[in-house]
Amino acid sequence: MKINTKGRFSFPGGVHPPESKDLTCESKIQPGPATKQVAIMLSQHIGAPCRPTVEKKQQVQAGQLIGDCDAFVSAPVHSPVNGTVKEIALQSHAVLGRSLAVIIDADPDNNPPKLPCSEFKDGFDANKYSPDQIAEAVRQAGIVGMGGAGFPTRVKLGPNPQMPKETMIINGCECEPYITCDYRIMLEWTNQIIAGVKLARKAASCSETIIAIEDNKPKAIEVMHSSLKTSQNGDNIKVLPVKTKYPQGGERQLIKAILKKNVPTAGIPPMIGVLVQNVATAAAIAEAVVTGAPLTHRVVTVTGEAIANPGNYYVAIGTSVAEMIEFCGGVTKTSAKVVLGGPMMGIAIADLTTPITKTTCAITVLTKEQIGKAKFAGRQTPCIRCGRCLQACPEHINPTKIAHAVKNNLLDVAENYYISACIECGCCSYVCPANIELTGYIKTGKIFLARQRKKMPE
Amino acid sequence: MLKNIIVAPAPHISKPLSTRTVMIDVIIGLAPAMIAAGYYFRIYALILISTCVISSVATEWLCNLIRKNPKPLESLGDFSAVVTGIILALSLPPALPIWAAVIGSCFAIAVAKMVFGGLGSNIFNPAMAGRAFLTACFGILMTTWTVPATLDSKMPDISADNTLNAVTQATPLAWSKQAIKTKTGTQTVNDQLQAAFTGEIGGCLGETSTLALLLGGLYLLIRRTINLHIPLAVLLSAFAFAGIAYLINSDAYISPLTHLTTGGMLICAFFIATDPVTAPLTTKGMWIFGIGTGAIIMLIRIVGEYPEGVMYAVLLMNAVTPLIDRFCKLVPAGGKPNV
Repeated sequence: MKINTKGRFSFPGGVHPPESKDLTCESKIQPGPATKQVAIMLSQHIGAPCRPTVEKKQQVQAGQLIGDCDAFVSAPVHSPVNGTVKEIALQSHAVLGRSLAVIIDADPDNNPPKLPCSEFKDGFDANKYSPDQIAEAVRQAGIVGMGGAGFPTRVKLGPNPQMPKETMIINGCECEPYITCDYRIMLEWTNQIIAGVKLARKAASCSETIIAIEDNKPKAIEVMHSSLKTSQNGDNIKVLPVKTKYPQGGERQLIKAILKKNVPTAGIPPMIGVLVQNVATAAAIAEAVVTGAPLTHRVVTVTGEAIANPGNYYVAIGTSVAEMIEFCGGVTKTSAKVVLGGPMMGIAIADLTTPITKTTCAITVLTKEQIGKAKFAGRQTPCIRCGRCLQACPEHINPTKIAHAVKNNLLDVAENYYISACIECGCCSYVCPANIELTGYIKTGKIFLARQRKKMPE
Repeated sequence: MLKNIIVAPAPHISKPLSTRTVMIDVIIGLAPAMIAAGYYFRIYALILISTCVISSVATEWLCNLIRKNPKPLESLGDFSAVVTGIILALSLPPALPIWAAVIGSCFAIAVAKMVFGGLGSNIFNPAMAGRAFLTACFGILMTTWTVPATLDSKMPDISADNTLNAVTQATPLAWSKQAIKTKTGTQTVNDQLQAAFTGEIGGCLGETSTLALLLGGLYLLIRRTINLHIPLAVLLSAFAFAGIAYLINSDAYISPLTHLTTGGMLICAFFIATDPVTAPLTTKGMWIFGIGTGAIIMLIRIVGEYPEGVMYAVLLMNAVTPLIDRFCKLVPAGGKPNV
């Protein structure tokens, strides 16, 4: 039977940026550099930061717990290497500015590179594990959403009597340009993902399971399909090709595309009985439950026109960006921007000692040509009210009105035009002919509002 | 290893678009109308278009100097003043004296645009404001229509105007005004449909050729420089109102199709009402704006004293655009947040 790889499912709004995935889509997942030093951030997730459970000069083993927290919404962190704690100090963090990290000197003689898990074969049976067992293993392993948001997976999977979950969508869209780590995982770790999907489904007691993949990845759709077909693997798991459009991988857009339902503004998917998990998270769940290994490594795409040897690497969390770039042969051309994540939602960093966290999908080094002249110069011209941002906005709000309200310090107007509904996908800034940093202004406005409500320190 | 890396908010790539490319698209869209104007009105077209463009750009530069803008030439690079100049020229009678065109351009840029704060801040369409100023000041010059150079001068209602040294003719819409008063003669106007399609009739410089304007409008739609909402709303509403009048009394009122192809209707629908700065942002707002514009045009043409109503219709709807935008506030896809 010929597998249909053409996706019909879509959502209103969105943009079609150049995909630029051919730089790395054929490069297999390889072990990352043997690091001399790692910096494990104590806050790599949404929720309460961890407290360190180790002291300076203490010996640690790979997989040992080094930070934990009693709060419900939190996830512990573990050491990826054997070595000695050098210090517990402030490190630059992509989102939080500066944040506390455990810095570990790796033992140079006792650190074999960690290889991806090879446990998983066809026909994985999730019935061996009870939902509580799975949830506890996920919590112990410190798994968080690996697509970018970093919400603790244990909290997501856990039963909530007020919001029973029916449908689980496994997100293999990877709509961000350049990034291919999820694509490679789907091709190479297919059975591990399917095992993780089954475990997650069991823990969350969902009846329907859909694996959504954008139709620009026909190979991944076929591999997923055939591996669900061959054995008893595929009981009630559906592979669904969806239309290639940014931000198809945003959970609200994915739910809209597949189920034709809107997640309430400022709400979460469980409110309408849906759970969305990234494919990389599913793979991590399988490894954690079956082998008990904590989340200490992840696949990172190092890419961009300015990187000498772009590729996908299985990297110890805590490795610095500078080390990764060096490992990939350094930069070739005049690099202009180093971005953690993809070019649409990633964060440009100035300090290359910033470590990789559980949520870092990619390191993208862009050249001046990719960024464009106006963006490179930071030149913004007046808004001509063309309305392109309104057409592109997948959340159906008025980006230009909100951005200009924030610019003029009219936070009440920004709220009145539903600033809280913004998902910060960047579509509005992408299409703006005047090159106004609409998303940037909206993000700033959200921070100002949070400060007003005293939810965030000055 | 890495020097001079820059830090800026996401996204880090953008569509290769700028205000300049948008304006150049509009200029390309106006090219067929300019070519048609050149073909029918020859030297008049060249003089009028170049006068308006040059004086518009010069006025913007002077305003920048007066405002002590550190880079007085920078804002000229977006070509918005050029677009204003071209649209103003195309909406003027072909034989308008140069000095009047200069005054109109100066008013359009200085008063209607720069006083409000320049591109993006103006409330009224600059070209239409300039034209309104000229109409108020020089009523006779603004209603003297030169006959296309290609036309046989033995046509009805053609007379030699000594002051302008040109052969002039009443426009189809002026005839239709006459028909409304006398309740006869609509057939003569309706017979002009084919001439109006190619542009071989009297009228403003760039408004006569339906074909050229449709071509330009199609280009803008294909390039997605404009979207279909406003043109469709203007034309549909004008067609509906003209249709009602035609059904009531076809002796007094000309056919809706003639209404759509004559006067400034098409240039308004595709190039003037779609000016993004002065039109609403939301789709719903665009429809309200377009329907209102079409209705006011027909109201002036059928009931009012003037034969043509495009200019006042656009200016009136420009004035209520902020109000329309306020009424048509978007509700997020996920509904209003429960705060």
